[in-house]
Amino acid sequence: MKTNRLNANVVAGLMLGMVLVAMLFVTTPSGKAIPAFSRKYGTSCTTCHNNYPELNDFGLAFKKNGFKFPKDDETFVKQEPVMLGSKAQKEAFPGAVYPGEIPGTIPISFRYEGNFNWNAQQPAALVAAGGYVPRTDLFVPNTFTIISAGSFGPNFSFWIDDDISAGGTGQGGGLGDAYLKYNDLGHYFHLPTNALNVRFGQFELDLPFTNARTPYLTGYDILGEGALAQGPACSSTPPVVTVCGTTNNPFILGTPQRGIEFGGSPNNGNFVWSAAFVDGTNAAYGTGPANTARNSKDVYLHTSYQFNLERDPESRHGIQAAGPTGPRDHTSIRVGAFYYHGTNQQNFGGTLYGFGDTINDPFYRAGAEVRFKYRKLELYGVGLHGHDNNHLVDTEAGTIVPTNAVTFNGGFVVGNYWLYPWLIATMRYDFVNSPSDAINNTYQSDTRNRFSPGYQILVRANIKIVGEYDRLWNKPYASGTGTLYYRPNVFLTGIDYVF
Amino acid sequence: MRLRLIAVKAVAVSGAILLLAGAGRAGEIKGKVSVQGIKSAENIAVYVDAIPDKKFEAPTAKPVMDQVKMTFTPHVLVVQAGTTVEFLNSDPVGHNVYWPSISGNKQLKGNLGTWPKGEKKGFKFDNVGVAGLLCNVHPEMNGYIVIVPTPYFALTDKNGNYEIKNVPAGKYTLKTWSENGKETTQAVEVGAGTATADLTVKK
Repeated sequence: MKTNRLNANVVAGLMLGMVLVAMLFVTTPSGKAIPAFSRKYGTSCTTCHNNYPELNDFGLAFKKNGFKFPKDDETFVKQEPVMLGSKAQKEAFPGAVYPGEIPGTIPISFRYEGNFNWNAQQPAALVAAGGYVPRTDLFVPNTFTIISAGSFGPNFSFWIDDDISAGGTGQGGGLGDAYLKYNDLGHYFHLPTNALNVRFGQFELDLPFTNARTPYLTGYDILGEGALAQGPACSSTPPVVTVCGTTNNPFILGTPQRGIEFGGSPNNGNFVWSAAFVDGTNAAYGTGPANTARNSKDVYLHTSYQFNLERDPESRHGIQAAGPTGPRDHTSIRVGAFYYHGTNQQNFGGTLYGFGDTINDPFYRAGAEVRFKYRKLELYGVGLHGHDNNHLVDTEAGTIVPTNAVTFNGGFVVGNYWLYPWLIATMRYDFVNSPSDAINNTYQSDTRNRFSPGYQILVRANIKIVGEYDRLWNKPYASGTGTLYYRPNVFLTGIDYVF
Repeated sequence: MRLRLIAVKAVAVSGAILLLAGAGRAGEIKGKVSVQGIKSAENIAVYVDAIPDKKFEAPTAKPVMDQVKMTFTPHVLVVQAGTTVEFLNSDPVGHNVYWPSISGNKQLKGNLGTWPKGEKKGFKFDNVGVAGLLCNVHPEMNGYIVIVPTPYFALTDKNGNYEIKNVPAGKYTLKTWSENGKETTQAVEVGAGTATADLTVKK
């Protein structure tokens, strides 16, 4: 029985590893470009996206306003909503149901993503140990996403997206975001417009840059970084390990979470804040002894401020800046900070190690962001520090005592340049510094770097050809002569279309 | 002296009579444009082509091309060469107006930039041709300025009917411009009354 419990820990570790690998090499962002809005307003994708799914200034204002035009929304709607009660019913409230509305046509959109992969040649020993990976692979991850979003009248808006299939025919994807939002709750407290909003359900945290909204083919490495104690997990089967760290935190910042979020974007959207109370992602992992479900809630805080550098006051206060060749995003610098605090609970009633109480390992992620926009150039980056409290388990002595925390740092820097409105050159640098990963032989050294030059071609406003070359870090593999290393570099290019 | 005065008066009266007679001979061209392979006969420009040795002064009126509800309104605006068109933004969202060429001549391209709601920006169209208007933020927006060489032009209604008034008597070449159809040319002779010219525009 004890063996089973220990093996469960190993399984949990393997699961974490698999999640990390999946995040790095397989995951592409879920759909966040909404043709349903194009249909509703009779306008092009480029109204809200310079390079979908990334939002431009107008798209951000549209989203923050509950998926409505920032001014005179009703005059732009081409598909009239169905009224759920007349407006005059407001006067009859509470004697009648408060009037609302639903979209006139079902607001459904679809997105498909599939890439051509060209992998670095694997060493023979790695093939022997880990199985053959073809040099080329077509239409990976083959993701089909359904998205539904819209508004239920002046204040309520909603969003649901689900990867119907990913990775192949009939394979399950999963629910991304599914939330209901109430805009301008602060109106009742005489606060500025949209200073206080609230949303409920499942949502990606209000991160400055998210894997869901990235236009790139691979997620940001640091947002996929989990925390694992140094050294192997305890095991009673060979190789026997009797002393191990407890940190085995599958928490990933970029994963959608269930919870409630308060937030706002007053001051023309220059100031943005949010505070979320969520379940934490580790509730989704593990069954039986490895179950890490818990009762406590995690907290996420984010705030940022945009310094609008437009000289012309009219442009500065406009939704978009006025330029000699048309409206464009403001020349601006946005700086911000975010903080996540959670608790990783394990070993409920001694189920994991066969003794001891529930282990509480508080952890936090703290980060900062910066974004600079100037005409056709966009630069941004994030730095993040991760810290997980850790315990040392001695299965022979039957003790669990606090020990050194597991920490990691990392971030990314991105540069995008619009050569033409339809041709964008991209460059990304991702870095993660994790001594634990190196000691656990997941990577060769503490710091792993990735350079990803790429391109994005808008064949049409809703069809893209995207490509990037990922020059990755050295990854260890066992051979007859010991541990060797190779770079699993990969070139990806694919199609991405929405309708 | 008296005879001289009578002669001058006679010349003046004769001139006036001749002028009135000439004015009375100004007619109109009416007709119906039929279409083949095109959805609608609406918004087809019908105009009298350039008249040899005849020049027209640029009009002082400034027609307005509006941007309202993310649509160029009117969709087609016909103007005489030399006309200044005023571009108005009636929307609370940012727009701009540009045209990549005039009838394919990219040297005549223009970009008027951005201006806020309620304001206008004027541009004088001196060259005959068609400017396809675009907004670089809302690519679904599209309008046309059709610049014609004479002040004798009209735009068809939804049934394809048109009417060009105050056309002096004479023989002319009537031309059409359509968003989706080929140019149609037809000779027409205008007398004192109404000349009828039905045209067919093919895709």
